[in-house]
Amino acid sequence: MWLFLGSESMLFAGLLALFAAYRISYPIAFHAAAQHANVLLGTINTYVLLTSSLTVALGLHAVELGKRRTAVAWLVVSIALGTTFDVLKIVEYAQHIGEGFSWGLYFSSTEVPVPGVFYFTLYYALTGLHALHVTGGMVVLIWLALKTRRGDFTPESHVAFENGALYWHLVDLVWIFLWPILYLMK
Amino acid sequence: MKRYLLSWLALVALATLSLFVSGTSIALSLAIAAVKAAIVAAFFMHLWGSRPVHRIVFITAVCFIVLLILGVVADVGTRDIAGPYVP
Repeated sequence: MWLFLGSESMLFAGLLALFAAYRISYPIAFHAAAQHANVLLGTINTYVLLTSSLTVALGLHAVELGKRRTAVAWLVVSIALGTTFDVLKIVEYAQHIGEGFSWGLYFSSTEVPVPGVFYFTLYYALTGLHALHVTGGMVVLIWLALKTRRGDFTPESHVAFENGALYWHLVDLVWIFLWPILYLMK
Repeated sequence: MKRYLLSWLALVALATLSLFVSGTSIALSLAIAAVKAAIVAAFFMHLWGSRPVHRIVFITAVCFIVLLILGVVADVGTRDIAGPYVP
């Protein structure tokens, strides 16, 4: 599982390296573009994901203690937090697209210098890929909740639960870096 | 249980701290993010006290990411010419 998580992180590392390269090449445009990032929604989502990592960890803890119903409850809370994250992300995307800050050729805003389009294209690539991981992670959490309710996990044997939880924490780890890089650096 | 709650409190505190220091220094923002990532990996992901092989994979991944990004930054950052757009 750790090998899989390591290879997943390389996926984001490549895009982040590209972001770093463009940011160094076009500092003024990136500064101007980053002013239009929705810091409020990005920050709320940071707290939402950090909290969801806690609830998933508490779910695993409950399984280890043999408390099935508690574990399912923590998973349901985590899934709700994941849904909140995705919904806020959609609101954010809608706002940006409405203002003309789309990706690539669809970028129509004249408020930022031309290379600002690189900021937004990479913003969509990074956060879109991350949101897909959040969604995939939620599918895993739903599956784990159903299995836990059915009694498939015991305090001695729950490898699938551990791996699903690890995947969710990786999604949190990625956001821990995306948030300062895309929203806070101006 | 207590360990998880303390980790979460530390994460929330650090996130709030990085909000306050945002705009001062990129290095500081990334340093705070690195500490948060270490807390998640060590306690939520149980890397603290886990099998050494897990830690080896994790540390190797971190090294490769740092190498990749530092390499790109060192290259692009020391060029005289900008890209096709001047601003």
